[in-house]
Amino acid sequence: MPSEDLIAGKIGIGTTVRIAWRNLARSRRRTLLTASTVGFAVFLLEVLTALLIGIERQSFDNLINYQTAHAKVYAAGYFENRDELPLNFTLTSLDETEALIRAVEGVAATTSRLAFSAQLSDGVDQITSIGTGIRIRGSDSEVFRIKDAVVDGFYLEEGVEGMLLGVSLAEFFEVKSGDYLTVLLKTRDGAYEALDLEIIGLLGTGFPAIDRNGFLLPLEIAQEMLDTRGEATEIAIRFQPSAAETSVVRRLSAVLGDQSNLEIKTWKEVEEDFMALVEMKRTAQGVFLSIFVIMAIVGITNTIVMATYERTREIGTMMAMGFRPSGIRGLFLVEGALTGFVGGAIGTIVAMLVVGYFASTGIDLNALYGEIDIGYPIKDMMYPAMSMTLFLVSWVLTGILSAIASLYPATRASRLRPATALRYV
Amino acid sequence: MNEAELAARVRNVTKTYRVGNLSVPAVRGVDLDIEKGAFLSLAGPSGSGKTTLLNLLGALDTATSGDIWIGGHSINGLSNKELADFRNTNLGFVFQTFNLVPVLTVIENAELPLQLRGMTDRDERRDKVEKILVEVGLGDLLDRRPNELSGGQQQRVAIARALVKNPTIVLADEPTANLDSETAREIMVLMQAMNEKFGTTFVFSTHDPLVMEYATRLVLLRDGKIESDERTEPVQNAI
Repeated sequence: MPSEDLIAGKIGIGTTVRIAWRNLARSRRRTLLTASTVGFAVFLLEVLTALLIGIERQSFDNLINYQTAHAKVYAAGYFENRDELPLNFTLTSLDETEALIRAVEGVAATTSRLAFSAQLSDGVDQITSIGTGIRIRGSDSEVFRIKDAVVDGFYLEEGVEGMLLGVSLAEFFEVKSGDYLTVLLKTRDGAYEALDLEIIGLLGTGFPAIDRNGFLLPLEIAQEMLDTRGEATEIAIRFQPSAAETSVVRRLSAVLGDQSNLEIKTWKEVEEDFMALVEMKRTAQGVFLSIFVIMAIVGITNTIVMATYERTREIGTMMAMGFRPSGIRGLFLVEGALTGFVGGAIGTIVAMLVVGYFASTGIDLNALYGEIDIGYPIKDMMYPAMSMTLFLVSWVLTGILSAIASLYPATRASRLRPATALRYV
Repeated sequence: MNEAELAARVRNVTKTYRVGNLSVPAVRGVDLDIEKGAFLSLAGPSGSGKTTLLNLLGALDTATSGDIWIGGHSINGLSNKELADFRNTNLGFVFQTFNLVPVLTVIENAELPLQLRGMTDRDERRDKVEKILVEVGLGDLLDRRPNELSGGQQQRVAIARALVKNPTIVLADEPTANLDSETAREIMVLMQAMNEKFGTTFVFSTHDPLVMEYATRLVLLRDGKIESDERTEPVQNAI
């Protein structure tokens, strides 16, 4: 059987593992020291990765819940100019288009929104902000979870003339719910409009674009002020929880494909800058942790090198008895792998306990960072991801990498001449 | 001598080591026939080439030139893997420092050659190993580790390990050098008994007069060449 031959010559993997395990036990202190180093690296890798996965999941959820929905439909030309919040690429026939989209399999809800640039003023200070007109009657709260982010006051109700204001903006103006701010804006035709609006509630989403810079108001009021009746800048779409994103997007593209004046963008495309940042952070953390793990695993190379020198005569004896070179190599590879598996298991068990604890209690970001922006749209509590796949994959990979780390000394040992090995003092 | 009567045949074998730019000849054109069932001692002063010749006979090292046959099979030109299999099948070893695998028990050490040979039936294997361990007087110590044994007991395990696979030749490099004289004699008596009982060929490298006493043939080496080769009358179980 070639695979068995590769690992253990004719001796069989069971006996090889038994001998390897006893050899590790023979040098218990050294084995534990090496395994602990590997364990610490694996622990760091798993805990930091669990944190990263957790932060990303929370960030993505927040993005979808507060800002991007799962996908958005724009009028052709809007998306590439979206930073300027233009009013000359708007959607019309909103009800018909939304009905068309809602009929697509996998779509749970839709809502129309009108985003625009405006100045907010309390009569003394004035600040440029992003206003968003939202549908009050049912549909916006079916797509977004803005309602859950109201930290003071109430959510907008039908017939109420008022706004929801980002908490940081409220701090800037030193206002609370029940106070008034003036909205100043230019209509599409360039005319100036102003309207005093009561602050109905304050929004703390953790999402800087809203908390620091945004306010929401009923769609009809926004349309009235901007002189864009019946128009919106986007239709936001929420998918059903079980729906596969790519399939729904494909079906939506097929349905909307006939209408060349529309374009559909997924949440990842809408937030492409953020996604690029996430990717960059993943790579940076990956590189950092890989270096750490590699350093720990080089410790295994060192340990196996020492073992092969210490046991050179023993290697010669085994060769005299008939161990093939592959059998000798296999023995040291298994010793390296076992060290990695033991270290990996120690690190993984401790990491599971730590991650499990914080996954249920959460980590208080305010206590950790105060008001510092950590670069992710989350607030208050951060929950690391209790991912069994992460634990299992990193444990198994540690064992495999440890075997690879042992390859050089194991091969060197297998190439010894028996007579030379037996003479070694 | 008839080929079929030979355990080993050595023809014009040389072994030269390279030390830096120097060539150091250790064995120089040795011819030797070892008959089956021999109890042969390679003797000579340090540097005479006896251990080198023993290593060449044991396929632990390869000759610079010349030919070696063990049990009628040439070992020239075999790959490392083939040499390993050849040693496992045809050769047993007893070393000066016993060289047991320290993490294995007595019975595990002795059965290792059979596992290497691919004998997978554990009961059959253990049965065979236990018999030979009883034969060498270790029937009560099967589960001891080497560090729980005396030097003499360890050497007995090594003898059992060498004999368990019925090898063509057992090669023993200074087998008594690390033993007190009484234990050394016990070990020689044991090997002599095994030689007589199983007909196994034993080849020793030694400068211990005790070993030479027991040998039935004494080959004296000097400067890598055979100086004399004579039949001797062995001591008979003198203990």
